[in-house]
Amino acid sequence: MSIAIEVQNLRRVYRASTSILGREKKEIVAVSDVSFDIKQGELFGLLGPNGAGKTTTVKMLATLLIPTSGTATIAGYDVVHQAQKVRESIGFIFGGERGLYWRLSGEDNLRYFASLYRLDPSEAKKRIPYLIELVGLKGRENEKIEGYSRGMKQRLHIARTLLHDPDILFLDEPTIGLDPVGARELRSIVRDLQSEKKTILLTTHYMFEADALCDRIGVIKHGEIVALDTPQNLKQGVQDLSVIEMEVYGIGSEVLDKLRAQPHVDSVSLEDREQKQALVIQSSHGSEIVQDVINNLNGYRVERVVVREPTLEDAYVRLVGG
Amino acid sequence: MQRTTTQTGLLYTIISNLRMFYEGSRLSYIALFHWLRPSTYLASKIIMPLNQILFFTFLGEFSGQNTRDFYVIGNAVQMAAISGIYGVTMSIGGDRWAGTLPYLFGAPSSRLVMFLGRAFFHILDGAVGVIFGLVLGVLVLGLDLSQADPLLLLLAIIAATISSSGLGLLLGSVSLVTVNVWFFNNTLYFLLLLFSGANIARDDMPAWMVAVGDILPLTRSIEAARRVAAGGSFDDISGLLTVEVLLGLFYASFGFTFFRWIEFQARRRGTIDRM
Repeated sequence: MSIAIEVQNLRRVYRASTSILGREKKEIVAVSDVSFDIKQGELFGLLGPNGAGKTTTVKMLATLLIPTSGTATIAGYDVVHQAQKVRESIGFIFGGERGLYWRLSGEDNLRYFASLYRLDPSEAKKRIPYLIELVGLKGRENEKIEGYSRGMKQRLHIARTLLHDPDILFLDEPTIGLDPVGARELRSIVRDLQSEKKTILLTTHYMFEADALCDRIGVIKHGEIVALDTPQNLKQGVQDLSVIEMEVYGIGSEVLDKLRAQPHVDSVSLEDREQKQALVIQSSHGSEIVQDVINNLNGYRVERVVVREPTLEDAYVRLVGG
Repeated sequence: MQRTTTQTGLLYTIISNLRMFYEGSRLSYIALFHWLRPSTYLASKIIMPLNQILFFTFLGEFSGQNTRDFYVIGNAVQMAAISGIYGVTMSIGGDRWAGTLPYLFGAPSSRLVMFLGRAFFHILDGAVGVIFGLVLGVLVLGLDLSQADPLLLLLAIIAATISSSGLGLLLGSVSLVTVNVWFFNNTLYFLLLLFSGANIARDDMPAWMVAVGDILPLTRSIEAARRVAAGGSFDDISGLLTVEVLLGLFYASFGFTFFRWIEFQARRRGTIDRM
């Protein structure tokens, strides 16, 4: 299988002014040194915490940002020197509702972008209704999109990016902010695209999404790829671990530090869930340390303790730290 | 999924660019004004021009400097600047507010066609605005156009809308990098009221005001419209209109160069999200 996307030592540094007059400059390394290949027809996931460099990487590949150093080729074309050729070969979306003309109908939005992508009018006439149906907007295409839900706008974004039928797609957090049903519908569309042998680079914060969709996953941290493998192999890397999940109340950072200092504790993370908190501890000793953990939580209310097998999310937490 | 047909060749490029020009122009115009109800649109084409024409005509008449027709024609042609400056600026700056710039900059389309397309419908709209202004002048203030050749008057109007739209394209590019382009728009609109000869005869202006008026749009088309109203022929206005259109093209070229520079800087400095 040939290579669709080839990235070598990609680096991007932003320069920001730190004084009012702009004389003092600060360098921010958004992407430090990223290399990976994506095969034709592969769905490649790029995971990482906020600010890790995922979107910056996508922007460089989509020709919207010039790399500070390194090279990237898309379908054999260099993203800097052959940007026009790259643009003809790719489609991209960034998460969120913006990027559409809200006062136009869904169909008019597609018609406008079809002209931007120089689609033959007769082809556009066939393709626009086809895409509207594909993304489940049939019957709503003549409404102004200011009345669309967030999920509908995201689906229209997908239709927009498929207008010129590109072989390579960059989907940057396409399900962000969607309700569970909307996110599921969008994942279903991504699966359909995958079955059509599109090459897809997907960034997401949702591990189950990456696990369910991606052929391979790259984990990016502080602008560098820290792991690159299939979801199965990444999970395999934490098979020595067990995960203890507890529902707790009122835990502060000092307690987390105390738990992290405990023997056999690999990582500790805490997530707020309305009034409750979900405490997740990774340990190679599994249920053996549950009592020690509970002892350390003396005085705090603890409900529901579960010890389970590790998931991709646990592999991710171990890789990016927690 | 079917593959899209790939077509190459000069003819296809020309056709696809013309299509993009038309679609881009039409849809960006609709995107901008679709929220307006017909009544609001007509108010902007009747009430606002009428207010301006009445204000300056009565003010000018009381000062006794020029005839009523002088002020009516000057302010009616000045209406071209509403579409040309404000409309075109919004048409380009609107992409910044809609968050569509990354998708425009990431598309393989001709930037020149896309850029100029944003002005096309505003040129037509501006011409409609000037005609409304002249009709109001005839109906409300008794403007005398009996000597005027309608075709020559239309040429002067089109030249006015092209030149003011050229300036609008430049301001539209500026709107991509400044948070308050309306300051520039309002300043230029009032500069035009002063320096274009709409309300002060250029013969009465000091040399420096004439020089400023020379580099502004509308100056020559207002003069041409007045000559046509007085029965002037094509030869009387052809030179004025040629320079007027060239001035508009100069502003549009400058605006396009600036637009391309902004696009390059956005890619180089990573400022596309901050635009």
